[in-house]
Amino acid sequence: MLGRTIFIDPGRCIGCQACVSACRECDSHRGKSMIHLDYPDEGHTVASLPTVCMHCEDPVAPCAEVCPAEAILITADGVVQEADPTRCIGCANCVNACPFGVPKIDLEAKLQMKCNLCYDRTSYGLAPMCATVCPTGALFYGTVEELQAERPGVDVSTMFAFGDTVVSTGVAMVVPGERRTPVPGGMLNLIEVNGRPTPGNGARA
Amino acid sequence: MAGTAPPPQGRPIGDSQVEGGAPGVVASTTRTTAVRASLIAGAASVLLVVAIVLGSRLLRDFDSALVPYAVATVFLTFGVVYRYVVWVSAPAARRMFVQGWKAALSWENLKRSPAALPKMIATYLGFQKFLGARSHARWAAHQLIFWGCLLAAAITFPLTWGWFTFTSASAAGPGYEMRLWGLRLFGFDSGSFLGWALYHGLDLAAVMVIGGAGYFLWRRMRDRAATTGQRFGYDFLPLLALITISVTGLLLTFSEMFLHGGGYEFLAILHMASVVLTLVYLPFGKFFHIVQRPAAVGMQLFKYTARRKGSDDQELQACKRCGQPIDTVAAVDNLRATMRDLKLGFDEWAEYCPRCKRVLRGTAYLSNVKRGFK
Amino acid sequence: MSHEHVPLDPSVAPLGTRNFRDAGGLPAAAWRADQTEQTLVPTHCCFCGVQCGMYLRVNAQGKVFGVEPRNHDINRMRLCPKGINAYQQVNHPDRLTAPLMRRSRDEPFREVGWEEALDFTVAEINRIQAESGRDAFGMLGGASLFSEKTYLVGKFARVALKTRHVDYNGRLCMVSAAGANKLAFGIDRAGNPFSDILQTQCLLIAGSNVGECFPVMTQYVWGARDRGATLIVVDPRETAVARTADIHVALKSGTDSAFFNAVLHVIVEEGLTDEVFLAEHTTGWAEVKAAVKAYPPSRAAEICGVPAEQIVQVARVFGTADRAMAWHARGIEHHTQGVENCLTVINLCTATGNLGRPGAGYGTITGQGNGQGGREHGQKSDLLPGGRSINDPVHRRQVAAIWGIEESELPQAGTSMMEMVWQMQRGEIRGLIGVCNNPFVSLPNYAVVKDGYDKLEFHAQFDFFLSETAANAHVVFPVTTWAEDEGVMANAEARVVKHNKAQEPPEGVRTDTWVMCEIARRLGQGSKFAFEGSKDVFDELRRASAGTVIDYYGITYERLEETGGIAWPCPSLDHPGTPRLFEGGRTSHPDGKVHMQVVEWHPPADPYSDEYPMTLTTGRTVAHFLSGNQTRRLGGLVEQTPRPWVEVHPSHGFRNGEPVRVVTRRGSEVLPALVTEAIRPDHVFVPYHWPYPVAANVLTVDALDPRSKIPEYKVCAVRIERAEAIDPVPAPPVPPGREAYPEAQVSRTDPLPPTSPQGRGTAERG
Repeated sequence: MLGRTIFIDPGRCIGCQACVSACRECDSHRGKSMIHLDYPDEGHTVASLPTVCMHCEDPVAPCAEVCPAEAILITADGVVQEADPTRCIGCANCVNACPFGVPKIDLEAKLQMKCNLCYDRTSYGLAPMCATVCPTGALFYGTVEELQAERPGVDVSTMFAFGDTVVSTGVAMVVPGERRTPVPGGMLNLIEVNGRPTPGNGARA
Repeated sequence: MAGTAPPPQGRPIGDSQVEGGAPGVVASTTRTTAVRASLIAGAASVLLVVAIVLGSRLLRDFDSALVPYAVATVFLTFGVVYRYVVWVSAPAARRMFVQGWKAALSWENLKRSPAALPKMIATYLGFQKFLGARSHARWAAHQLIFWGCLLAAAITFPLTWGWFTFTSASAAGPGYEMRLWGLRLFGFDSGSFLGWALYHGLDLAAVMVIGGAGYFLWRRMRDRAATTGQRFGYDFLPLLALITISVTGLLLTFSEMFLHGGGYEFLAILHMASVVLTLVYLPFGKFFHIVQRPAAVGMQLFKYTARRKGSDDQELQACKRCGQPIDTVAAVDNLRATMRDLKLGFDEWAEYCPRCKRVLRGTAYLSNVKRGFK
Repeated sequence: MSHEHVPLDPSVAPLGTRNFRDAGGLPAAAWRADQTEQTLVPTHCCFCGVQCGMYLRVNAQGKVFGVEPRNHDINRMRLCPKGINAYQQVNHPDRLTAPLMRRSRDEPFREVGWEEALDFTVAEINRIQAESGRDAFGMLGGASLFSEKTYLVGKFARVALKTRHVDYNGRLCMVSAAGANKLAFGIDRAGNPFSDILQTQCLLIAGSNVGECFPVMTQYVWGARDRGATLIVVDPRETAVARTADIHVALKSGTDSAFFNAVLHVIVEEGLTDEVFLAEHTTGWAEVKAAVKAYPPSRAAEICGVPAEQIVQVARVFGTADRAMAWHARGIEHHTQGVENCLTVINLCTATGNLGRPGAGYGTITGQGNGQGGREHGQKSDLLPGGRSINDPVHRRQVAAIWGIEESELPQAGTSMMEMVWQMQRGEIRGLIGVCNNPFVSLPNYAVVKDGYDKLEFHAQFDFFLSETAANAHVVFPVTTWAEDEGVMANAEARVVKHNKAQEPPEGVRTDTWVMCEIARRLGQGSKFAFEGSKDVFDELRRASAGTVIDYYGITYERLEETGGIAWPCPSLDHPGTPRLFEGGRTSHPDGKVHMQVVEWHPPADPYSDEYPMTLTTGRTVAHFLSGNQTRRLGGLVEQTPRPWVEVHPSHGFRNGEPVRVVTRRGSEVLPALVTEAIRPDHVFVPYHWPYPVAANVLTVDALDPRSKIPEYKVCAVRIERAEAIDPVPAPPVPPGREAYPEAQVSRTDPLPPTSPQGRGTAERG
């Protein structure tokens, strides 16, 4: 069951990138932001999507599984840590295995980096920087109960469908109350979004 | 994702962290891998014992005072080889291991770029250029520890195995001879610089290690980047061990030179205990990265050779959606094979760049879950 | 075949996962260890009118090195990207640390001592005033100053310079809303606190890109929706809040009053007015009612370019809600009928009885940090402290007594900021001191502004970075950032908040207060400017405002520190402040009623023609603030949005990133196209934070609202055409021999438009 974690609601996101700037302020990776902020509906709307590490639970951390150097550790409370700098060899397996597109890599330093749910802050009892500053609550840190107390009628999902595979995660996404199916992780054979053709599917955008 | 963050004092230490890899993977390493690893590790240990016996000319040159050290190296060998075999038996490491060695041993490769491997070894293992990109201070401190430990190991291991011997050239002169496996390498004068250096080599190593480890220790206590999630067993113990070994070693010299051997016995035991414990601990904690790090060279060589085969167009995997390069085709294929080994059912996603994965997920959320606020 | 193309290292990785750039003033490699000792100084953000609380992190050496969210009840720990990066200004390498001086604009600046710069300035003031009269020397203030300093600007101009020509950059911001508020309510501030938004059933946002310009205010908008409120957004662009709104009215820019008149028309037709409220608490309703009769939805639909049904829908949703609220910002205010636009919104709220209740009311969202406080205490050309009128003999006598001068010595009302520039062109104003403003970027019609300033015989400017305007001056005084002095600001709710001093100013830097007092002393008025610091000024300000509509008397630094902010009026030390106005329908007019005003729509000043058929509208983007003199130097923000762009609808056939020439009657420039369906096909949008040659204000028209003198930034006639090369973005100015901090400027030369108006996605950076 979900404890205190991050809840992501792209519907509330205004794309301001406060999270991106805030992430740079974290003491453990100062100057480097681990958050991705994408504008997935480019050219059509200003919709935006923040991505933090989803801290996969089942299968547990694919990034850690594909790591040849045993560099990605998972804490007892399910936080998938960034690569241990003494071990990471910078092979980028995790970067490309992650179905959510989360890990980053410093090629010069041969070091993977990613969101570790602000371990430096949560260990002092502070909420993660991104969710603390998010002006809209698109990133929310707390429990499901706290979330629902503020936003009646919403539900959360930790199930994401990648093709036939369902990945369950420690970080959740907000979904409308009635939804029971996993959140699509994306559709590779997607032809249209909102009635418009999408670029890709083998063709260059 | 259990509960809140651990309280300030209760940061995760050592065993509360699960090693990387799925439970399934960890579990499956049990029986067969363990047996195989034990066998190989046992064989390696036996080999070392044989080498010690032969190298010390059937124990004639073996210094019985150094027995605990020698025994520790045997345990060390068992531990390292066992851990290594277990490590490279996991799917991801196994595939990278195979690819790395394939690249390293390829005749084709050697002909084409003979300098690549030595260069990589020098940059990644010797001078550790990548550490400089992380921080110059950490690079300098690590170099001190690295070369200090290497020097110390080069001196002490052969000594404890009875491979090196120093014999007087004459009954009562300053002249000494250094012998390996009983064969005379060279002679030197104990008063000469070489003699001084040989005699104080370990002291020099100790000073280097203390400098480097001291910096790291200071950093572990002050730098918030370092203190995040650090664990006593994993992060502090190795530094304390190195410092203990170095300090007790230096004190031995001090005792001999200035105290006429005062406290030497006790210091010797303390030093020995710290060395033995460190060697035995080496395969299990942070020090195992010494054994693992060469994989970086294998990985790099694998990617390098794959890219050299043809043009970037052919050899770089383009994202299926945006066309931007992801990695070498070989690396992506290797990753996908690893993912299939691990039964991760989404390996075809590896053909999309991370941004496109996120954009695809974002558009799917917009069209399938909710378009906006509601 | 050569394989030299393959380097040993590094290998390849996908875009957006690699190339860490240590964005911002503190390279990660230089930021090391030893930060175990830190002090958290509670303060507020220096930027917009929301005035989010924040802590500045101060290290053992007493230097600001970071920011920590603060659980202040305005923002509840939220911050926007500007606020997070704000601290990097404090110890920024581009800071001015010595006065710059030159005797003519042909010379380069040289660094001089304070004595020399002050002496020269005073000599020039004396010379110009002796030659051409006192009014030949002008003063322009700013609304990012603490209220103490804005008070001092007004007093300095009138008592030390003895000139009538003083105004401030709030004139470009929201004076039209202020004018409308004064007309309708007799008081100039938002009626409700932000927290009231949470209780509304229908929230109407007109002409405000809340998500980008007031990001932290979005939590109140979303909070209201979480509780079931309907959101209506009126904006020609589909902004982040408009995107998900229940109703988005994408009307043509410059047609707001027609739209709101039509909405009121429907409300009257359908009997949704609150006749009891209207009868008890208003004047002028009959006239307004008669006037809106001429605006049936069909007519407004044609004027505004929106479906008539949408107008009816808005009227029904707003009119049937028990508690409805309207907030507006520059979108409806930056017009030649800015005051009237605001009045139509006030009429709408008044006619439906939505005033002065939790969840029901009206407000304007101030743009600058002290946009509210900055206009209250006398730096506006026609106002004296406490919102008193400079034309009212009683008010003049009161203020003259407080300042210790004769009423006859007090100058008469001056002119507005843009008018002062015209006067500079005509040689009527020959010397100028500018404090905390950057008109070269922020005033409309750059060519006129440049010409006006170039004609000045003497121009001194106060700033902590060398702004484009300061770079054209004769003397530049290096002054403090907000973190190096204390003072108060009033946010969009008229809540007065206290900013605290986090560090000592760098060597060579003085507070604006010190500089003004020092010049005043040298002008022989030292006794009236014997202020040690902000606290002394604030105490005088409190006394000066006592008994006025804008009563600060009960607000003290100590109370602000205890409470986290007090909304004026606060007449006594035990008064809790007034977060909500108009309770029980009472306004600040002597009769206590809302004075409803008739408004007739008229077209914008710049006429459309075959040559200029489209509409140009300008505005802000989330990563930058006003003229950008601050934010264009902060690496993280430059990286997010490195350059301006022109937003065009795909129907014009441009591809994303293509050079597009934007031409108006006043100028033209080439910007990369951001092609998006989120804008009306007949509109283009250019953000205004960048200087010439990529300044939006090269294009805008210097037509003013006759009542408030606010320029019409939000609409002018334009055409777009294909072009060859994009105009480059100049580096922010720095003193001679220095270079704008290169690490912060890395992205500036990137020719592409951002991915979305909010900036480049994190994967779209190098």
